[in-house]
Amino acid sequence: MTSAVAPAATTGTRPVSEHQRHRRRQGVLGWLFSAPYLVYVAVIFAYPLGFAIYMSLYDYFFTAPGVNVVRPFLGVRNYTRALTDPAVQRAFLNVGEFLLINVPLTVVLSLVLATLLNQVVHARAFLRVSYYLPYLTASVAVVGVWLFLFSGSGLVNQLLGPLAPNPSWLVNERLAMPSIALFVTWKQLGFYILLYLAALQNVGKELYEAAATDGATWWQSFWNVTVPGVRSATVLVLLLSTIVGANLFTEPYLLTGGGGPNGASASPVLVMYQQGIEQGKPGYAAAIGVLLVAFTLIIAWLQNRFGSERG
Amino acid sequence: MRVGTVVRGILLGLGAFAFLFPFYYMVIGSLQREPDQTVAGAFPHPANLTFANYATINDRVNLLGSMANSGIFAGAVIVGTVVFGALAGYALAILAWRGRGAVFALALLVQVVPFQLLMVPLYVMIARNYGLADNYLGIILPFVINSTAVIIFRQYFLQLPRAIFEAARIDGASEWQVLTRVALPLIRPALVTVVLITFIGPWNEFLWPFLVTKRADMQPLAVSLANYISNVANSTANPFGALLAGAVVLAAPVVVLFIAFQRYFVASDLSTGVKE
Amino acid sequence: MHGAWKVLAASMGLGLVLSGCSGGGSPAPANSALTAHGPINIWYSNNEQEVAWGKAMVEAWNSAHPDEKIDGQEIPAGKTSEEVIGAAITAGTAPCLVFNTAPSAVGQFQRQGGLVNLSSFPDGASYIEARTAAAADQYKAEDGGYYQLPWKSNPVMIFYNKDLFAKAGLDPDKPNLSTFDDFLAAARKIKSSGAAKYAIYPAPTSEFFQTQFDFMPLYAAESGGKQIVQDGKATFNDASGLAVANFWKTIYSEGLAGKETVQGDAFATKISAMAIVGPWAIASYKGKVNWGAVPVPTSAGKPADQIYTFSDAKNVGLFTACKNQGTAWDVLKFATSTDQDGKLLSTTGQMPMRQDLQKAYPDFFAKNTAYKQFGDQAARTVEVPGGPHTVEVLQTLRDAYTKAVISGEGDLQQALNDAASKVDNILAG
Repeated sequence: MTSAVAPAATTGTRPVSEHQRHRRRQGVLGWLFSAPYLVYVAVIFAYPLGFAIYMSLYDYFFTAPGVNVVRPFLGVRNYTRALTDPAVQRAFLNVGEFLLINVPLTVVLSLVLATLLNQVVHARAFLRVSYYLPYLTASVAVVGVWLFLFSGSGLVNQLLGPLAPNPSWLVNERLAMPSIALFVTWKQLGFYILLYLAALQNVGKELYEAAATDGATWWQSFWNVTVPGVRSATVLVLLLSTIVGANLFTEPYLLTGGGGPNGASASPVLVMYQQGIEQGKPGYAAAIGVLLVAFTLIIAWLQNRFGSERG
Repeated sequence: MRVGTVVRGILLGLGAFAFLFPFYYMVIGSLQREPDQTVAGAFPHPANLTFANYATINDRVNLLGSMANSGIFAGAVIVGTVVFGALAGYALAILAWRGRGAVFALALLVQVVPFQLLMVPLYVMIARNYGLADNYLGIILPFVINSTAVIIFRQYFLQLPRAIFEAARIDGASEWQVLTRVALPLIRPALVTVVLITFIGPWNEFLWPFLVTKRADMQPLAVSLANYISNVANSTANPFGALLAGAVVLAAPVVVLFIAFQRYFVASDLSTGVKE
Repeated sequence: MHGAWKVLAASMGLGLVLSGCSGGGSPAPANSALTAHGPINIWYSNNEQEVAWGKAMVEAWNSAHPDEKIDGQEIPAGKTSEEVIGAAITAGTAPCLVFNTAPSAVGQFQRQGGLVNLSSFPDGASYIEARTAAAADQYKAEDGGYYQLPWKSNPVMIFYNKDLFAKAGLDPDKPNLSTFDDFLAAARKIKSSGAAKYAIYPAPTSEFFQTQFDFMPLYAAESGGKQIVQDGKATFNDASGLAVANFWKTIYSEGLAGKETVQGDAFATKISAMAIVGPWAIASYKGKVNWGAVPVPTSAGKPADQIYTFSDAKNVGLFTACKNQGTAWDVLKFATSTDQDGKLLSTTGQMPMRQDLQKAYPDFFAKNTAYKQFGDQAARTVEVPGGPHTVEVLQTLRDAYTKAVISGEGDLQQALNDAASKVDNILAG
């Protein structure tokens, strides 16, 4: 996400007027090419989002068409309430913990595995298919398997024997969130490996060859050639894994039975779901949602700054 | 380098095991007559094997019909995303225009906002304002252009060397030709990536089509199977096996498609075709 | 990226403008809808038995009323159905009748303006009260109207596995489970004898509705039929509530019940020797468990004919989106007639909410003696509190319960008191 695409090494020979015309044409084409996407966003997305923000300022609830009710204007009171609600605070802390575990793990594992996968000659197809399987499979299904594997008497604890945690992983207040973070890392990793694999194709072979002639070890060529070569993909992986993580819902909903134990794995979206859809307070839920969007955007912005500065 | 190859093999093998095992366990579990949670249960026992879990699904769910619905849903989303997403991604990465940063931020915002925040207003809009309940369009519309794909397209266009675009333009190619003849062929690996991730989303999506469709003959496979699991799970001999069998049925077509197309995923070395 | 952040601000502004146009809409259906006749659509639950009943009922009606045909569709049981109905109300796409309306959701549907007050039909209230008698009172809204027709209940009882009881050295025919102490003694014996891994296995998860299947049935019994909320005040922190919470806390602290999500049904898979559930589950135990059932325990061991329990009822709502409400009301009466109730009873084994149930269907109860006690128990059931805050109240109690009872953290009375004052605040609005 460099801030502007530098006009390509350029133009000395061309007259300025043509350059300007060229830019103007690009301006029109830019809007033209983006138009379908913009229309889609305007038609599908703008209204519900605007509506959600509107709701967050009111004591809102949904009614049947034509039913007129009083929905008092609350201003920022939904927001102040959300910020002081211990359950909401806890959920944000939980998701912070989740991101601290999940995002670095995702970036490191997917880059290392993609690099290895890119170098391997034998069994490429088999390995690729196996790495993508969890990502291809619906959450509902793999959650079932994990419950089976990580329950108190499940396979993992049977293998660990006396080392098995008590209470077991998903019902242990300290381990529930790390377990979920691990699960999501595992589930999504295939997608990020895919991104890295495609990016790795653009790292010039000659760079590796040069490193090899300099007598670089595997680690050195990984660190000096691969890592800088896929830096923009890394920024993307950081960004997407943060976004996916911040919107965590299915896992605490299914894997830990509604954010248990005792709210240790509740996420902001789960709290939103409980407040807005189950308990009929969509205005309050919308405020939590807007706060979550702000929270995610701040993190994304920080990552973007950090990522850009390093380059 | 010999030791390195062995280490690499071991690492990749361990990784593959960690990723494959739960899936293997899913298949084994779906074939069990009685759920067996012990270590021994991870291996097939001839006495405890059955296809009954699959037979029941076949009895209760119109597999072909719902698979066709899923295919329509996913297919339309893929077409929409590849065509319009590539256009937008190209504009964001290659063309210089005011508002580019804003559009990119919008694509980001679309992803940052959790679906649960939009769900009810979106449903009201689709079902009431547009009258698209129990309609393929109603299922497809909210997904028709995948914003992640737009961002991925932009990413890969950005990675292409700028010089080739300039060269093509100097040769008199129109922007459309630059996109279709030069840029798209160069990002073929990314294109297949995009097709895969756009396919997975609608294929596994449950909540939205479930809200929008009430007629069983309109429902995609994920919804039919979820319905099946939610009500049959308690009245079969092996509810866990029924759940896993449902999961396998949902995953199988994806896996088959993926295996069939996987060799296109990472095309040959890009940089050989591009002089930097 | 400067423009990027500007656009975020701008799109939020745009949203506000757009949402300004969202009011209005079509006017509420006039009262003429109440008498309009014509085709209608209905939703019923998608479990095998109820689908069989629903299809037969629709067919019977349609063959007699060619001009007012019913279009029947399945919706999944469970709480996703409440989300679907809630969204459909908002969009005006709700069906005419839903034969799967959870009482815990009715308050919100009513507040949304989604439900027709059945008392606005001339024979509305009288029909409901004639069919269900005094038990209908619990389903009356604050304004005195009926926004749901009490349809069928699944009175929650203790199921036990006779084979496992015999294995544990307990009497499989007349097990002594009526007092808390007896129950605990039996549970300990099941566990220590190795007959089953757990004595009983209520879902230990945090979803609001789980409260209905551990705390509420025992509280109803212990308190002699109290709801967890009465006159806008929480009641569950009284002596009965404490006794019930203490009972479950002992169960959990001694490991007599599991604290983890169990896949499938613990009772059907013999992981536990007992279950706390209503008669709908019998179909799923067929051929798997040799079961018996007894009323839920109380501290003093009240006689069976004084035991109250949670109803686990599913009701029928008539929705305002319906154009032909006259037909819908006729169908509702048809579907809950003596004849159709009898068919429901024999196909699903669930208890129609009518007075003198056993006298109405003597043949069924004579032939299916196992169901007799559910017929008895159906006369004494307690419902969740009504009103728009039901789910919030249940969730508040559940959060306190998972922490203080299941995890055993903190002081029990304190936890119940805190939850009760939160509930009082919620109800005070």
